[in-house]
Amino acid sequence: MRRVLKWAGAILLVLALIAFCAFLYLIPPFFVAPPETFSAPMAGAPPPVDGIPDPAERAIAARGRYIVMTSGCMGCHFMNGAQGPDLAKYLAGGGLRIESAHGTIVSRNLTSDPETGLARRTDDEVKRVLRSGVFPDAHMVSYTSMPWANFSHWSEEDRHAVVVYLRHLPPVRHAIPDPDHSAAMVEPGVLERAYAGKNYGTDDR
Amino acid sequence: MIPRPVSRDPAPQPSVPSVLLLATLITGVLALAGRQMGAQDYAAHPGGAPRDGATVYAAHCAECHGASGKGDGPASFLLSPHPRDFSIGSYKIRTTETGSVPTDEDLLRSIRRGLHGTAMPGWESLLPDTEIRNVVEHVKSYSPSFAGTRPQIVTVGADVVSSPASVARGFAVYERLQCGACHGADGRGSGAVATEFEDDWGQPMRAADLTEPWTFRGGATARDVFMRFRTGMSGTPMPSFKDSATDAEMWDLANYVLSLARKPVWAMNADEVAAHYAREEAEANAHPIERGRHLVDSMGCALCHSPLDDSRRVLPGMKLAGGMRIRVEPFGDYVTGNLTSDVETGLGGWTDEEIVRVMTQGILRDGTRLLPYPMDWPSFSTLASDDLRAIIAYLRTVPPVSNRIPPPRRPLLPIYLWGKFRMLILGADLPMTFHAGNAGTPVAHADAAAPQGGR
Repeated sequence: MRRVLKWAGAILLVLALIAFCAFLYLIPPFFVAPPETFSAPMAGAPPPVDGIPDPAERAIAARGRYIVMTSGCMGCHFMNGAQGPDLAKYLAGGGLRIESAHGTIVSRNLTSDPETGLARRTDDEVKRVLRSGVFPDAHMVSYTSMPWANFSHWSEEDRHAVVVYLRHLPPVRHAIPDPDHSAAMVEPGVLERAYAGKNYGTDDR
Repeated sequence: MIPRPVSRDPAPQPSVPSVLLLATLITGVLALAGRQMGAQDYAAHPGGAPRDGATVYAAHCAECHGASGKGDGPASFLLSPHPRDFSIGSYKIRTTETGSVPTDEDLLRSIRRGLHGTAMPGWESLLPDTEIRNVVEHVKSYSPSFAGTRPQIVTVGADVVSSPASVARGFAVYERLQCGACHGADGRGSGAVATEFEDDWGQPMRAADLTEPWTFRGGATARDVFMRFRTGMSGTPMPSFKDSATDAEMWDLANYVLSLARKPVWAMNADEVAAHYAREEAEANAHPIERGRHLVDSMGCALCHSPLDDSRRVLPGMKLAGGMRIRVEPFGDYVTGNLTSDVETGLGGWTDEEIVRVMTQGILRDGTRLLPYPMDWPSFSTLASDDLRAIIAYLRTVPPVSNRIPPPRRPLLPIYLWGKFRMLILGADLPMTFHAGNAGTPVAHADAAAPQGGR
């Protein structure tokens, strides 16, 4: 009887171990779940522009929305919640930390929050980052970390549309640490190292 | 040891040599401090001593214009127009005669205000004026043209104020000088013989759209526009019209060109915005390759799908040829695909459907699934089908580059499971590492590498 129990226990233990390994192997289900699991929410994630009263501004914001959505801004400026990227807090930032020879930067909060978001910046300041990679304090960000050299191909009118749309993003209070330009990562053969495992911002509400 | 002044006696006046010595010491210390800040220091120093030209240049200019001033900085391969090469000393925006170097004031103005329609920002509000002046001297030092020559400044009379009569005369000048051959009858390329050119540096460039004055590089006052006719734009097909038109005619022409301006989208009403976007969409559909090129350029495909060296510069001739290795822990090594039209190693052998599938579902030709990052196919799945088609149409025109890309490589099972354990159970924050160099291999063709002799 004891022998049977012993064997049953051993088998259960082995099964549990196999189940645990299978869990480790398959989670997150990137290679198991259909691609639509990841792509379908992307079209609905950007807040709609229907609520903008002025029809001209609404049409321009819709154009900006399409550019923001298709250019992959959420690839870096997402906010990590308890279950991975929180699509509802669209472009609230803090989801990615990049170490490079230019120092350490964390993806910024692009929502209209007056204290932690883009509302602190003028249109010209935002456009200058998108066009030239130059922050208001004259620092430059590497074109490999923030693709401003690519975004400089947008016409001035499309850049305007992007800014109009960003101004209409619902505010999310989410403080992002300032870039640390002194912490240069120098490692031969390595361009950058990006971390996305947690929320690097603070005070999110 | 710091020498202390003797308090009882009046301090002895320093002799001339000791003043010189002190000055040398201070300069040396400052120079050392400057070196230590080096290229890593990207900030202006509010309240600090103005930095010298080389330091400012390294921090704010070299990213595009390159450490040696040749316009070949790390970001340059993605930019259009291409950043200015300072080594030749030839400048478009001048108030000086053809062939002459620009004035300091010309260079200061371009740096202070920036160049509209390009990635060059205005630095006026960002850097102290002393530093801007220092960087002008530094930029001039890249070209021997400035040594020993004085800029020949053109003399300009009073402005000719715009009026219907001046604009009408300007239209006649536009016709006579055949401006429409490059800029089109309507100023935006319609009916032009050619609108795409190569400048003297071998970089692609376009004739300006004269209906968008907010993109005029050197400004959009009548005087600015007059100056472009008067001096020409060195290094481009835009000549000086000094010998073919009078000053009065060039003022009329400037007034005519400015009369072509259309409303920018930020000044339009709802109907105008709708009409504007409808026109842009019709143009995109009529020219899918152009539209596709714009999307590929602006969406950042070449950022990962090109191999970069240690200093973030693209390997020569390898733009869009893939080969950047990205280690995504714990999932393995992914090498970016070759997007050129090469049949063997690029997209040349892929069908349109296969390209759409990898762009919108992250599934490679052999069925391999990609992670939802760093290739952001979940976002690209939101592209309109016209835009997807345009991107493919453009990629089919990218000249082939042979670069065979290895398939994704997953780590050994125990290592993979251990990585997952660290990530999921121990909560380790595992990085994604972008590597320099090309992880692809060019395929040697039989004709290119014929076996030498027999056995």
